[in-house]
Amino acid sequence: MASKVKLSKEADQKAEAIIAFHGYSSLEELVEDLIGKEYEKIKSGDDKEELANKLSGLGYIS
Amino acid sequence: MKRREFIISGGTLAAAAPFMNFGAGKPLGKKLLVLGFDGMDPGKVDQLMRRGELPNMQRLGQRGAFTMMRSTIPPQSPVAWGSFISGSDPGTYGIYDFLHRDPETYLPMFAQSETTPSRMLVGLGKYRFPLKPGKVVLKREGPAFWDHLQERGIPATIFKVPTNYPPSDSQQRTLGGMGTPDIQGTYGIYSLFTSDEHESQSELSAANVYYAYIDENNVMEGQIDGPKNDLLKESEPVIVPFRVHVDNRHRTARIDIQGKEILIAEKEYSDWVEIEFSLISGLAGITGMVKFYLMEMGERFRLYVSPIHISPRRPAVPISTPANYSRELADRVGLFHTIGLPADTKALSNGTFSMENFIVQSLSVFEESRRLFDYELKRFLGQKEGLLFFYFSSLDQGQHMFWALNDRQHPFFHPEENRKFGFITDEMYRKFDRVLGKALQAVGPDVPVMLMSDHGFAPFRREVNINNWLAREGYLKLTYSDPGASIFDAADWSSTKAYALGLNGFYLNLAGRESQGIVSAGERRRLLEEIKGKLEAMVDPQDGARLITCAYISEDHFSKDFLHRAPDIILGFNRGYRISDDSALGTISRDLVSDNMGWWSGDHCVDPLKVPASFLSSFKIGKPVPDMQDMAPTILKYFGIDTPPTMKGKAII
Repeated sequence: MASKVKLSKEADQKAEAIIAFHGYSSLEELVEDLIGKEYEKIKSGDDKEELANKLSGLGYIS
Repeated sequence: MKRREFIISGGTLAAAAPFMNFGAGKPLGKKLLVLGFDGMDPGKVDQLMRRGELPNMQRLGQRGAFTMMRSTIPPQSPVAWGSFISGSDPGTYGIYDFLHRDPETYLPMFAQSETTPSRMLVGLGKYRFPLKPGKVVLKREGPAFWDHLQERGIPATIFKVPTNYPPSDSQQRTLGGMGTPDIQGTYGIYSLFTSDEHESQSELSAANVYYAYIDENNVMEGQIDGPKNDLLKESEPVIVPFRVHVDNRHRTARIDIQGKEILIAEKEYSDWVEIEFSLISGLAGITGMVKFYLMEMGERFRLYVSPIHISPRRPAVPISTPANYSRELADRVGLFHTIGLPADTKALSNGTFSMENFIVQSLSVFEESRRLFDYELKRFLGQKEGLLFFYFSSLDQGQHMFWALNDRQHPFFHPEENRKFGFITDEMYRKFDRVLGKALQAVGPDVPVMLMSDHGFAPFRREVNINNWLAREGYLKLTYSDPGASIFDAADWSSTKAYALGLNGFYLNLAGRESQGIVSAGERRRLLEEIKGKLEAMVDPQDGARLITCAYISEDHFSKDFLHRAPDIILGFNRGYRISDDSALGTISRDLVSDNMGWWSGDHCVDPLKVPASFLSSFKIGKPVPDMQDMAPTILKYFGIDTPPTMKGKAII
């Protein structure tokens, strides 16, 4: 599904800055990348489990 | 002298030491040796000195200074060594706890470093390739004191100082210390292969437990669960199989893994075994390393496999500057532990290790550190100028686990274990005294020596669930309050005013900072003072003892630079108390205060006034009770460098 999104001037300026800073080739690429990351967050319902796993070796907490 | 008198007096020797002004701007010498013994307690040192058991520390103190030193608020190693590195308070370098929290999600996170995932992935068959690879970022902010030495062309070796992973950019020789993860990005997950069916079904924290099936040919098949292969579209761990040939007659075993044959006897450790974890066959892989420990044979077979360490010879991520420094050490001294907290305290807490097993491992870590120190000391002796800082972890990790062996008031005190192993803490101190003695002899009288710790130690007899208290007081609103409920699931953030996370951290649910914050800017200060008063009035229902001697309001104690990362209050627990494991991770438990029934029985995450650090030097000092943040200015002054404006500490020479 191709969607058109209207950005405010402020958001557009921020997007331009992010594109320049991170080297995205276009606004579309930036948006797709951000959506991908957010989707990953939702999809990985095991975030907390993975976090618990990562912290579990810290002797201070059992 | 009683402990309290000792602390108030500022130590036995330094208070009487005359101030020696060597003159600012002029180097006082060309070489300086600084030893860091994490967790060395000044009261314990004083006690053992008086018995004549630490002759080298005693001589050092008599020659120069021996005193207690102020640790940081809170007195946790990442915070205190951060102060050592930065010459300032936590507000300037932004580390306040082992664990911080993400104000967006409220979830805890590592304070010392942050991993950013790879981005812009391009798919190719079953793989996906990042155009922007992920990276690990050190969260300690600002310059390190060795950067200032570098500017003056003064060489420094900084060995395993905590809060320096990944090591900050430097041309100096630095090796990451506490905070360095295992190859899976965790604090260390070990594996146990056991023929005990009951044990094999146990679910242990930070452990992979497998049933060890030994076939009719006396062979056991095992596997090492490596890092996740994120190059696969469906990410999964890289598995490396191994085979154990069990010889019960000779009480030995042969382990075959990736073409290597390792022979070990019962109760012995293998040497380090490097393992290749292939990500794309023949093209991409990661090198890790483990040690095997053949704990038992015969009726019951038990094989321990250490967490998978980053190989210093082929590090998958940077662990040193320059990058080849870790390889140099491995080539000259042999492979070594790279995980920041090398002794496996979890294995003892879980019951996988007996106390004897843990002591064996601790001594092995200590011996390895000593060998590395011998190498660096020899190298230092050959230099015309420079600084050697060398860090040892064993006193700290040992005291965490050994405390209950000698503490008859501890609920986990076992008379039998006391008889068998009660000697070990004092013996560790004596071992460290011998390390110092060897160093003093090697450098001679012309090279000054500083010996310091980051905090002392205290009993951890009772644990306090601050989130329980917050819920009882109505500051934390829960949609349900079953024991075991987590604030991440059960908190009603729309009416919650405060929550606790980390080992000393206490946060307001602040509007504009927390994603669902409700405490307004106008209400903030009044609420902090109200809560501070209530926290300091809390008592143990068992005997009426105060639980918290000081609740430190962060903005009253820290520089502003990175104050936004800080908890709003740092909880200064009384001796004998610490936050409960549950509360540290945001879980509600049944009781507000309960007995600590585990080997992790000594701690220092308390009020810093209760666990001062130790300071000894071969030279006199001009301050009866120095501060952690004075160390960097002192080192710089020794080399003729004025204290930079970023540092709040003052030189003590």
